[in-house]
Amino acid sequence: MHTAPSAVSMNGISKRFPGVVALDGVTLEVRRGEVHAICGENGAGKSTLMKILSGVYQPDDGTLLVAGREVRFAGTQNAEAAGIAIIHQELALVEDLSVAANVFLGREKRGNLGLIDDAAMEAECRRLFALLECQVSPQERTGNLRVGDQQLVEIAKALSLEASIVVMDEPTSALTEAESARLERTIARLVEGGATILYISHKMEEVFRLADRITVLRDGRHVCTVDRAATSPREVTAWMVGREIATEAFRNPRHAGEKLLEVQNLTLPWPEHPRGYRLADVSLNLHAGEILGIAGLMGAGRTELLETLFGAGGPTWTGTIRLHGKPVRFSHPREACAARMALVTEDRKRLGLFPDLDVAGNVSLCSLDQALRGWLVSRAAEEELVTGPVQATGVKTPGLHAAITGLSGGNQQKCIISRWLLTNPEILLLDDPTRGIDVGAKAELYALIDRLCREGLGVILTSSELPELLTLADRIIVLAEGRVTGEFARHEATEAGIMEAATAG
Amino acid sequence: MPSSVPPASTRPAPAALRRSTIFGLRRGEWALVVAICLAVLLTGLVDANHSYFNQPLECLRDIARNTALLGIFALGATVVIIAGGIDLSAGSMIALSGTICATTMLALAPAQMMGFKPVGPLVVALAVAASLLTGFLVGTLHAWLITAVRLPPFIATLATLVGLRSFARALCESTTSSFTPTKSATINVADPLFKTIRDNVSIPVAVFCVLAFITWLLLTRTVLGRHLQALGGNEQAARLAGIRTENVKWFAYCFGAMTAALAGLFYVANESVAAPVNQGRGHELNAIAAAVVGGCSLAGGVGTVPGTVLGAIFLRVVIDAVSKLIKTGADVYEGLIVGVVVVIAVTFSQLGQIASGGRHLLPGRLGLCAIPTLALLAGGVVSMTAGRSAGLAAGAATLTLLGLLRVWESRRTA
Repeated sequence: MHTAPSAVSMNGISKRFPGVVALDGVTLEVRRGEVHAICGENGAGKSTLMKILSGVYQPDDGTLLVAGREVRFAGTQNAEAAGIAIIHQELALVEDLSVAANVFLGREKRGNLGLIDDAAMEAECRRLFALLECQVSPQERTGNLRVGDQQLVEIAKALSLEASIVVMDEPTSALTEAESARLERTIARLVEGGATILYISHKMEEVFRLADRITVLRDGRHVCTVDRAATSPREVTAWMVGREIATEAFRNPRHAGEKLLEVQNLTLPWPEHPRGYRLADVSLNLHAGEILGIAGLMGAGRTELLETLFGAGGPTWTGTIRLHGKPVRFSHPREACAARMALVTEDRKRLGLFPDLDVAGNVSLCSLDQALRGWLVSRAAEEELVTGPVQATGVKTPGLHAAITGLSGGNQQKCIISRWLLTNPEILLLDDPTRGIDVGAKAELYALIDRLCREGLGVILTSSELPELLTLADRIIVLAEGRVTGEFARHEATEAGIMEAATAG
Repeated sequence: MPSSVPPASTRPAPAALRRSTIFGLRRGEWALVVAICLAVLLTGLVDANHSYFNQPLECLRDIARNTALLGIFALGATVVIIAGGIDLSAGSMIALSGTICATTMLALAPAQMMGFKPVGPLVVALAVAASLLTGFLVGTLHAWLITAVRLPPFIATLATLVGLRSFARALCESTTSSFTPTKSATINVADPLFKTIRDNVSIPVAVFCVLAFITWLLLTRTVLGRHLQALGGNEQAARLAGIRTENVKWFAYCFGAMTAALAGLFYVANESVAAPVNQGRGHELNAIAAAVVGGCSLAGGVGTVPGTVLGAIFLRVVIDAVSKLIKTGADVYEGLIVGVVVVIAVTFSQLGQIASGGRHLLPGRLGLCAIPTLALLAGGVVSMTAGRSAGLAAGAATLTLLGLLRVWESRRTA
């Protein structure tokens, strides 16, 4: 047993959000100087747990000990003072400030007269970047950096805090191979310097290369903590998933019908970016009754592709989009709706939900005309209208007039799919529909998507999770930096092959 | 449409998830009803003349007229705020509308206007139509600035707040110099139709009630109303759901400007003069205040017509109460009252959150400095209205109470 106090010790941590229990009595011990991997599916509670450790959230229950002393963080500043730095999955940088200003944000170095001392901050920044093998100038505007370099800015921030505990939340999800390797060297250097690393990831290969110990979370509960040597990737994956998703049901071949959508050489310029384009020469076909998967890392252009197809990406694109063989050019999502397309957006909270409308209002929004009695919306007709799809998609809600914000992520997503089903679409665009949704609800959504497809819809599905695409899609197109770098039929698609294409270019 | 139908869950709704209304009013709205009753009762008792008991009809008429005038354009402000925007130009729109009305009549019937004679119903109708059309045009200008030029609503309507009043004055002076012997910044309106409106409080009240009912129908029972709420709640999502957000905004700003134009006509009738320099000055903030007191969120998406109606009544009742209590020069304090009422009403609605979230009203050094600030404010106001010793007492009492609150709050965390 260790006599020195653990770096971090969490006891019975619980955190509830309206409608969801994000963490349920999680107990976790992190030894000083180790790389401790936290694994779990999306929605397992990894990020919430780390946000509690770094003071972003306060736990509803349980105690948190850092270096043997009980702490209560009222905010991130308290956690930073206790030597904990977090590198968030969604980077928390001010894009319009310089790199150096971001590294020292809130702790600016001051010179004579108490004025900001840019030179000193830039010098310190340069020193840190040398350690990190980062070639970026501290004076560069942060928004101009690649995602990988932005991540290094966050790490430099953690280093400048001289943090003894560094939390990394899925740091490699947007990195190229070379950048990931650089990050691994950085981690090794941090550990050498005596830091403790908490590393969140669901990439098994990476976890098994880096971690000393592995903790698995599932549905907000602690499953187990094991030494790396004592387990295998297969075992950890099984703990993460916990229950088998019946993927076999989707394996019956679907029968593709007529060609619905044909895209040729779609290019979307991006003048303010050095690359010059968001999408370049993208071509694809979609038939009725098939699911076309689109794979790609963060920033590969998946969302931009779907938004452009839906008329929401701005008018600057070139190339041709044909619906039923006829060229179309939508200037507003309304026109796409009229042409029987539907888009379930990526970021549910920001782009999909109306928090001030109730469940019925959220579902009926696009087809409220059908609930008109004369000039006025009839409440009864609206309820009748939404009951069908709400039941068909299996939304679990306390009632049609419950607050949408009170539902779990999976049920909110089903409400949004219901909204679009009411518009009677032919083509359903699903942008990462299961992000942040727990495993059980995911399985239900898979079954729903599969059923809709078999009923004749053409579905384009993007996902940040390869297993999802491999489970559902008939064909998979891989995007990397806005270009198509691979196309796979279902039987030839493998995780390794897709990853290789996604990190190409 | 999918065919297999699994049963929907039939769990009863937990209280927190239901939209709770009692007889159609939400909790905050009932609180306003109670506050209005309390204010009326207290004023009736404390007022040395007991005017609420001795001349109830006159008092009621006063409050009703003021409430109707404020309420008409507060409904417009409500629609704009629910759509996620803000219209700062209502006060200037009131002045412009009145000026357009008066200048139109002057241009069409200069002899009658100068001789304080009736101008005839046709001229009045044309003048009213011109005013409302101006409202539509100003709303269109706002919507264009906001959706096409992409100015923030605050900037766009700030520009018209300043610009329209100046434009109205220029228009007034140029018209009077063309049609009358002397240039003037006011135009007297003596047509009997306007006098009838001035003498019959039931007309503005009826117009207000009808407008409130139409607005309520619009917001709760029409597709456009739902789209207004969706737009205010989440603009990007609304666009991605196929809503023509720019058209919805166009409607909202036109509704806001046209209700202000309508109110402007009543102000002209009420005062028998179109006076672009002063008419409606600062009223845009009263309208926003009524909406906010009535439960609108400036973040958009939230707000009700009953709330705004009650908010307008509450504001006017409190202003009237103070004028009854202070007797002379009460209008000096109108702005102060509106300010205090807004702060207290919104703070009150957040008390639950503050208590349950462990948030402090007087945190840290900022809270420490806020205590003497508030005490000075209270002491100053009371000493100006009720004498120096009363002011001292009020200041001291505020200081003590807030000091105790501060001590209690710091104990609670420790």
